[in-house]
Amino acid sequence: MLPEFFEFYNPTKIVYQIGIATDLKPELDIIGIKKYFIISDHVISDLGLVQKVADGLANVGFETVGRYLDVAQDARLNDVKKCADLVKASGAEGIISIGGGSVIDTAKAVNILFSEGGDLVDDYSGAHTLTRPLKPHIVIPTTAGTGSEVTMAAVIYDEDNKEKLAFPDKFLLPNLAVLDPEMTLSLPPKMTAATGMDAMTHAVEAYVGIQSSPISDVMAAGAIELIMKNLVRAVENGDDIEARGGMLVAATMAGIAFTHSMVGVVHAMAHAAGAHYRVPHGVANGILLPYGLDYNFDFIYEKLARLAPVMGVAAQGISDEDAARNVIAAIRSMTGKLNELGALPIRLRDTGVPEDGPAVIAEGALNDGSSFYNPRPMDEEELLPYVQNAY
Amino acid sequence: MGMFESAEKFEEILAGFFRHMGATKSIADKLLASKLIIRFNYTDPDLVIVVDCSGDQIDVRPHDTETKAIVEMSMSAEVAHRFWFGKVNLTSALTRKEMVAKGPIPKVLKLLPAVQPAYAMYPQYLDANGYEKYNITRAYRPPTA
Repeated sequence: MLPEFFEFYNPTKIVYQIGIATDLKPELDIIGIKKYFIISDHVISDLGLVQKVADGLANVGFETVGRYLDVAQDARLNDVKKCADLVKASGAEGIISIGGGSVIDTAKAVNILFSEGGDLVDDYSGAHTLTRPLKPHIVIPTTAGTGSEVTMAAVIYDEDNKEKLAFPDKFLLPNLAVLDPEMTLSLPPKMTAATGMDAMTHAVEAYVGIQSSPISDVMAAGAIELIMKNLVRAVENGDDIEARGGMLVAATMAGIAFTHSMVGVVHAMAHAAGAHYRVPHGVANGILLPYGLDYNFDFIYEKLARLAPVMGVAAQGISDEDAARNVIAAIRSMTGKLNELGALPIRLRDTGVPEDGPAVIAEGALNDGSSFYNPRPMDEEELLPYVQNAY
Repeated sequence: MGMFESAEKFEEILAGFFRHMGATKSIADKLLASKLIIRFNYTDPDLVIVVDCSGDQIDVRPHDTETKAIVEMSMSAEVAHRFWFGKVNLTSALTRKEMVAKGPIPKVLKLLPAVQPAYAMYPQYLDANGYEKYNITRAYRPPTA
């Protein structure tokens, strides 16, 4: 059944090729500017990835007029302000961000101030407050998880007021996403597993979400298929370039899916686990995804069952309920393998969550914005046993 | 002409509904916990309503253009009306600018689960207070000019 209304908007050009991050002349010629400012972090820089891209730009006549490498683990408001001042003073005409979600979100927010001036909080808090396209922003992801290269939001932490700020705006969608699996080769197994399960959760929650559409479904299902085939491989052997490529494309497809279809109870719980107990977002999603699907089961099993062939667990003549159970079992099997590899905890208790933590997480989940988009109306008492099961 | 024949009628209905929500403990407790001050700017007909959650109880103030709001929501009266029936896709409304939200979006999103029960309350409120003709879940007929 088609939704009454849906919208699909993805103006970001996506290119994929092994090694393409150092060979961007055709894409940059079309964008038509010469001077770029690179935003990244010290880990990425120490791995030589920033210099590699800068050399690639120089070889084909493009100039890197400045670099900002101080992006913290969370994208931070003060970094955005400092970096924007540097970008403005550099004479840059556009931005290239090289990194994971924090780097990309920082660059999105920097581009608001770089292009439009003003104060990020006073002038741009809200939804879709921008009125025209920003300056060119090219994204080269170095993780395969957040999908920020194709999402329309920047999430920035205001360290002075200790709160997360969100800037959802279609003009934040980057101009170009460069998917080069070589840029993710150095991602350690634990990060590979956690970011990969983040992408998996984006895709699965987008697929069963109340705002899904036939177009977001295709993106979500494609991402799930790629993750099933490639995540364990990429964790087992970080040099498996084909698996790295599969995960990179999957994360981008999952990003496109969830920026349209939103996420639900799993993200709501993961946000609460992160806020209260600092459980890394991808780890929390990886642990909680099967339990969130259990919680939603009666509301989603018919659609979830359609993922069985995609996940390689289709069986002839079984009911939708059983097919959906097979899907959840396949996810548990995958997280179990990641756990055996020492790359992903599968219990909240193994992440520093205390014994009374599930109640706090259930309460926090209910107050999280993602719960608004969950297929099953959220109820704290009903959710708690599922969080306890995950403990 | 929109769905409401006058700003006075729209104010009577919507401000009344906000006060009804404010008197519903399960909703009011969560709104008060947010400490938000929200200004709703409506068009067709034009109306401003401030919902102030910063005190001990929900204070609904039509025509308040002076208070500094933390969040400003702007939309047509018809979109507002459909929203309280649960018939507005919020994400789409924001991207299509049917609704414009200014202020800390995470705080606004946190309120959504709190106000979700109000979707069921709104048609009941309309019926119980003599506003049946505005209940689009009954038999909505567009007003004639």
